[in-house]
Amino acid sequence: MPADSVLPPAESVATPEVLPPPEKHVGVGGAILGAVPWIDKTGAVGGVFRAIRSLFGGMKITGGYLMRPSTVVTQQYPENRETLKLPDRFRAQLAFNHDENGYHKCTLCRICEEACPNVSIIITGREKPAVSKKELDSFVWRLDSCTFCNTCVIVCPFNVLRFDGTFESSVYDRRLLSYTLNQYAGPVASVLEKMEDPEARKAAMEARDPYSGAAIIAALIEKQKATKIAERAAREAAKASRVAAKAAAAAAAAAAQPEPPPEAEDVG
Amino acid sequence: MSVHVSTLQARITGESTASSPLSTEEYFVNMGPQHPSTHGVLRLVLRLDGETVREVVPVLGYIHRGIEKMGEHGNYRQFVHLVDRMDYLSALANNWAVTMVVEKAAKMETNDRIQAIRTLVCELQRIQSHQLWWGVFGMDLGGFTPFFYGLRDREQICDIFEKTIGARLTMNYIQPGGVMFDIHPDFVKDVKAFLTYFKSKMPEYDALMTENVIIQERLRGIGKLSAERAIALGATGPVLRASGVAHDLRKSEPYGLYSQVDFDVPVGTVGDCWDRYWVRMEEMRQSVRIVEQLIDNIPEGKTFLVKPAAKIKVPAGVHYSHVETARGVLGVLLVSNGKDAPYRIHCRTPNFNNLWCIGEMATGGRIGDLVAMLSSIDIVVPDIDR
Repeated sequence: MPADSVLPPAESVATPEVLPPPEKHVGVGGAILGAVPWIDKTGAVGGVFRAIRSLFGGMKITGGYLMRPSTVVTQQYPENRETLKLPDRFRAQLAFNHDENGYHKCTLCRICEEACPNVSIIITGREKPAVSKKELDSFVWRLDSCTFCNTCVIVCPFNVLRFDGTFESSVYDRRLLSYTLNQYAGPVASVLEKMEDPEARKAAMEARDPYSGAAIIAALIEKQKATKIAERAAREAAKASRVAAKAAAAAAAAAAQPEPPPEAEDVG
Repeated sequence: MSVHVSTLQARITGESTASSPLSTEEYFVNMGPQHPSTHGVLRLVLRLDGETVREVVPVLGYIHRGIEKMGEHGNYRQFVHLVDRMDYLSALANNWAVTMVVEKAAKMETNDRIQAIRTLVCELQRIQSHQLWWGVFGMDLGGFTPFFYGLRDREQICDIFEKTIGARLTMNYIQPGGVMFDIHPDFVKDVKAFLTYFKSKMPEYDALMTENVIIQERLRGIGKLSAERAIALGATGPVLRASGVAHDLRKSEPYGLYSQVDFDVPVGTVGDCWDRYWVRMEEMRQSVRIVEQLIDNIPEGKTFLVKPAAKIKVPAGVHYSHVETARGVLGVLLVSNGKDAPYRIHCRTPNFNNLWCIGEMATGGRIGDLVAMLSSIDIVVPDIDR
């Protein structure tokens, strides 16, 4: 083998089962049937039978499956929804781990937001009234840009996130692919559990639903637009006041002239 | 060494070399980018003389996503999940290639359990990749039944991956510093059940296609690639081994636990389509052997040795590492400037080099054989363009 001189062979190399090379078709029928590869040397059609036999070998397999319907593996998907069970680790939708009281442990540390390779997690916080730290307002996950790499789940130090097997997430409107994962806004579970009064707990929490995500993003965009409009208005007002001040200064300068024009008399 | 550069336009308007005694002239056919047997958006421009192929020019770029450039904008852990999308049929091996270069450069430790799990899942994925190839190969040759049987058996491996990893295709499982999850409690049981099942199915594969005389005659002698040309074109994996070069990184530069398991590297003799078919069929059996040896001997230990959120800093310099995927050698070249994000990442992907062998194989052959040749290379187009 010429290749052996080019690269050293690996330690143990299997000898390939060398199949016989295709036979030359030089028989009696070879002139006419030379194009048919399974005619053997003598021009007899023994090769044809060999080919047909091998065909029947394959057809025995497919026919065998026809006889044994128990080997069918096809799943009738929309009908078997009740029995369809996806594995625990299946990555279909990001979800919050809520404890039995419905509390989560997200402390707004933003480690998952930083670890996300394609900015699919958008976390907004808000000022906590009593403490200087911020608390969670909304945890928005964008399914449309998520690549299901699972990095956010493994980096979370408080085990807040998980992927669950809710896989039927197709919608007709792309904006509905942004989910708010937290069920409430407000303090973390550890703070809530210290509150004795259940009414106080309720007052500290503010309900969130999954589809407030898109609305929040829209609201943020609206807010940005409003800020821009306000900024522009402020800029224009400042410009106007600058122009007015300039004009006033010019007028004052004109008034200070030793020989004012006749119109300035009226102003003075 | 001189490099001949010509544009596609120059080739199309170039001189005709038609050899037919009839007054024919050469003509061009676009195969793809939307063609079922190019396995994706690959475009082949064929210069034909009647039924004879005179030249094949692959035109690339239809699925270029700039994965290497995107890698420069994130940290090392974020780059790992992007390489899933290169060669999606061996996503775990791609993960391992990046992980290996980062671990080698940053001197991160691993243990035997991590290496055993990595070796196991990569071999399982090699089997499922070859199963899919077998099915699609049969379909390209005109038989639809192998496609069903190949995908039916591949489903078993996908189910095992679903349980342990949680994904079927883009897995992002092998991470710098370990693997993302420990194996599922059912993993060993499921893999053993699969091995028993699959070993009973291999004779069916043989009866259906390997022993079929028509398939043999169809594949033998077409698309020949000599060992010298295969090496010159940079072919790797089964394409190179079918040409008779016993080059397998699992043997020549063992990584993972490959040095501790016993397996053979099948090689071909002539480098035609039949050899490539036979090498892949034999590789499936060898992978089953590797999995059988490892499945009962997974050592105890942790599966993630660093904090997942910890920043990985790679010392400045150029680092390289490569693995043997189901289709050949995937090399990752990493240029680091000492920060926690790569300065430049380049992937030497197996399919890119393997694709250029099609020119060598198809020139002078018949257009009817071209699909068989293309399918016997087993290309994955997103890996060519990245």
